[in-house]
Amino acid sequence: MASLLLRSGALKKCPNLKWSIASLSTTSSRLSDDVSKAVKQKEAPQITHDTALLNPEEIEQRKRLQGYITVDAQSNVAPITGQPEEHVKGRLVRIYEPAKNAMQSGTDNTGHWEMDFDTRERWENPLMGWCSSGDPLSNMKVQFSSKEEAIRHCEKNGWEWYIQESSFEKPFKPKSYGVNFSWNKRTRVSTK
Amino acid sequence: MLRTTLIKALNAAKLSPKHVSVVSRASSDVAKKPEKIEVFIDDQPVLVEPGTTVLQAAALIGIEIPRFCYHERLAVAGNCRMCLVEVEKSPKPVAACAMPVMKGWRIKTESEMTKKAREGVMEFLLVNHPLDCPICDQGGECDLQDQSMAFGSDRSRFTDIDFSGKRAVEDKDIGPLIKTIMTRCIHCTRCIRFASEVAGVDDLGTTGRGSGMEIGTYVQKFFLSELSGNVIDLCPVGALTSKPYSFTARPWEIRKIDSIDVLDAIGSNIVVSTRTGEVMRILPRTNEEINEEWLSDKARFAYDGLKRQRLVTPMLRGSDGELTPVDWETALLSVGKVLRNAGSSVGAIAGGLADAEALVALKDLLNRLGSEDLCTEHTFPMDGSGSDLRSNYLLNNKIAGAEDADFVLLIGTNPRFEAPLLNSRLRKAYVHKELDVALVGPKVDLTYEYDHLGDDPNVISEIASGKHPIAKKLKAAKKPLIILGADILQRPDGGALLAAVQSLAASTTPSEGWKVFNILHKVASQVAALDIGYTPGVDKIRENSPKVLFLLGADEAAIDKSDLPEGCFVIYQGHHGDQGAVIADAILPGAAYTEKQATYVNTEGRAQQTLQAVSPPGQAREDWKIIRALSEVIRVPLPYDNLNEIRCRLHDVAPHLTRYGEAENANYFKQAEELAKTAKSSNLSGSPIDVKIKELKDFYMTDAISRASPTMAKCVQAVLKQKQSKY
Amino acid sequence: MARYLGIDKVFSVLNIIKENGGLRASLYKLYRMDELKLGTLVGTDKYGNKYYQNKRFFYGRNRWVEYAPQYYLDYDGSQVPAEWYGWLHYKTDLPPDQEPFRPKYKWMLDHVENPSGTPGQYMPYSTTTPKIEAWIPPKK
Repeated sequence: MASLLLRSGALKKCPNLKWSIASLSTTSSRLSDDVSKAVKQKEAPQITHDTALLNPEEIEQRKRLQGYITVDAQSNVAPITGQPEEHVKGRLVRIYEPAKNAMQSGTDNTGHWEMDFDTRERWENPLMGWCSSGDPLSNMKVQFSSKEEAIRHCEKNGWEWYIQESSFEKPFKPKSYGVNFSWNKRTRVSTK
Repeated sequence: MLRTTLIKALNAAKLSPKHVSVVSRASSDVAKKPEKIEVFIDDQPVLVEPGTTVLQAAALIGIEIPRFCYHERLAVAGNCRMCLVEVEKSPKPVAACAMPVMKGWRIKTESEMTKKAREGVMEFLLVNHPLDCPICDQGGECDLQDQSMAFGSDRSRFTDIDFSGKRAVEDKDIGPLIKTIMTRCIHCTRCIRFASEVAGVDDLGTTGRGSGMEIGTYVQKFFLSELSGNVIDLCPVGALTSKPYSFTARPWEIRKIDSIDVLDAIGSNIVVSTRTGEVMRILPRTNEEINEEWLSDKARFAYDGLKRQRLVTPMLRGSDGELTPVDWETALLSVGKVLRNAGSSVGAIAGGLADAEALVALKDLLNRLGSEDLCTEHTFPMDGSGSDLRSNYLLNNKIAGAEDADFVLLIGTNPRFEAPLLNSRLRKAYVHKELDVALVGPKVDLTYEYDHLGDDPNVISEIASGKHPIAKKLKAAKKPLIILGADILQRPDGGALLAAVQSLAASTTPSEGWKVFNILHKVASQVAALDIGYTPGVDKIRENSPKVLFLLGADEAAIDKSDLPEGCFVIYQGHHGDQGAVIADAILPGAAYTEKQATYVNTEGRAQQTLQAVSPPGQAREDWKIIRALSEVIRVPLPYDNLNEIRCRLHDVAPHLTRYGEAENANYFKQAEELAKTAKSSNLSGSPIDVKIKELKDFYMTDAISRASPTMAKCVQAVLKQKQSKY
Repeated sequence: MARYLGIDKVFSVLNIIKENGGLRASLYKLYRMDELKLGTLVGTDKYGNKYYQNKRFFYGRNRWVEYAPQYYLDYDGSQVPAEWYGWLHYKTDLPPDQEPFRPKYKWMLDHVENPSGTPGQYMPYSTTTPKIEAWIPPKK
């Protein structure tokens, strides 16, 4: 609370109060006045009892273990995900941008990347004629915001992948209501 | 509309890549044209070209304004009023689809006034819309359904005080493909605009006004066009739905698999919808470079042909001369025995639906047996450089390139029925860019006007020599296109014709990078087969008279028993019992294009792959796997065991075959032309140039799949019926 | 005396053997049905199955059937016709020929044994229409 008061600067407005701050402060040097001063303040390094008993080599070793180890290789989690090997090897992942549904004009559920697996055999269930599949990944569709992200995910899981590029971009052309009625263009509308 | 995907919600501030691409394009245009104007949409500034509509400007920054009548590939109609938005300082809301933006406009797409306007429009639309969503085929993928959820009022003010009922309109019979429930129509006129602008058939129109307004054909008439199925997609409600698909499936219970259409050489991108191991319908998938978002009727509706006349089990011709079903082991062993006994006296003919994997596997197999007699059913002249130079047999300027042409000379082709989506591009250029078209060949209806130059092949040399009046136009054109139908090259003087057209193409003065000479193929497999090294035409088989003939889906009866030596063993591998299977001694059932992951190269040389949507029926298997198994039986095993390995082999043969989605450019036009001059006979015969498919009724049934399709048969019937009607 | 020495057991065994038609027939019966019992014949059905009762056995074991010889080892419970089923399972104490209320109509079907494992057995089949129509080669 005292420091809040001090930092608020309300007291700074009246210079003759300075003495009273000094008398209020409980520390010998008032660090809160200037933060940079506080950083520079030298203190003896604290040594806990377990480090005090260690050899210098051991301390060095401990320091090394504390940081992250950067390995250049791609991480592969396939061996520990518990996925059966037949669904890691031999599966082909398609990474693609879903196209807009031709039946609708909305563009929801597009504009991202998706991955899915190759279609495995399906067969007809003899009782009801429904479709059966032995493929646990047949319904796996994962969305990504970029294809790089999807690729990284596939590589991490050990799946082979390919990119299906799509061509949705079309040249921009301003539309005009007027061309329907132009008298010398072929855009003139005959039926309505 | 209400739901946003998690990713979108998380990256609310970020724009989706799709939108970014448009933005970057727009900003790259900034440098070229400095006279852009700035407007603010929901307080976001956007620079647009003058003349841009409010709706387009909003789309540039990823804001979607609801609409029913507006479609970006059709003319602006502005009659549904759903796109009303508020513009600051404007007393009334404006129709975003038709109103060009003015400098400094502040457009509010989420303001109170906008919301109220939308709600009002929704209310008016729903007053006369039946509440039959539960039995409507559009249910689940209906714009009206979604938009009434998102923008409509949460309660109804509709009270039928007089018990007079809602407006009802009698349904129209407009053919075997499109089912109409006209009461559901909200009069957006998208179908009318599509018919007259894209399909070029002015059949649809409106009659009456106000609540008496109706969409129809004025007289009792079918709406028959090679692109008619697209109005089903365009219809934002369930007024026009697919007749073969009616009441069969719901959009949310369907699996969608991206694939490629192979029933013509365009290679349209499609989405195969399957349920319970059955293809339920086929929809187009947007690809700006190929089919935009249209699809021809054959590609869309011939899928029921995949369920009929299928070869589901291997068959062998017994001693009694009948084909009897056998198991794979017996079939492969006896076919293998025959092949081993024949030695190198083996020939193969590849049909129009064969995929590149099967083609390369078959070629490897026959080459290992010591045979080079691999032919395609559809011929191509081998004089001059023949199929050695790719530029000889490709649609070099690409399908999308047809839009930019300023003069097109069609020779011996009817693109309307051979490649409907190329024709729609030509029509687009005709309508919007004042394209001039001339045609050498029979007089056919191309849905646009053209100069008919007669069907005498000598016209070509006349144009080349500059005597013909059209020659001046061709010379003057900056972006001329000459499209030569692959079909007429079957003529005995095909080589001379090709040489003549090539020299004609060389005599033009196109702008940089523009390719004048183009070949339009009719079947999906031809380019891949020629790339892999098949010999076009079956003459080689006739000459060499092999002991064993392997037909890989060859169903066009290019060769029959009388052409073959006595005792020639015919193996047919394919998916349909058609003309090829009838003459076969052994049948190996293969997979159709929806049942395998396979590579096809379209007429512009673009490799694309189909994906497996359903499993092959019965004991049918993927084609290249059958050939691989056969190679094992005759002890010349082919060195590939899975799809990746055979794709590597494809890559070795021709690297572009595995660069999916990319059209590999061809070069050496000059050399091709030079070599063509060395052709054996350079004299054109006087017989008139003809095309096989002249009318709509010829369009529907052209291959094994569409010939097996009941829907396509109904279409042919409808065309014949229409001819008899007095309209 | 005989009871104390257990000789009456021997007598009863001999009696059972005698009642079952001698040593040879008894051994055959033992081979076929794994047991040899003494009982009074209550009735015979039209298929030749014989129904016995012996009140000396406890309830649940005191009525039994000896299947007709033509079944040999292939006998099973479903060969008991419905009318005898009731008596055999203590639903009634009167054998069917003595039961006054047992209806008899012309339309009543003859008893059929369970056809499982025989060519006449029921086989489930797909009731869905085939999705693919196969090509049938044209006859010459």
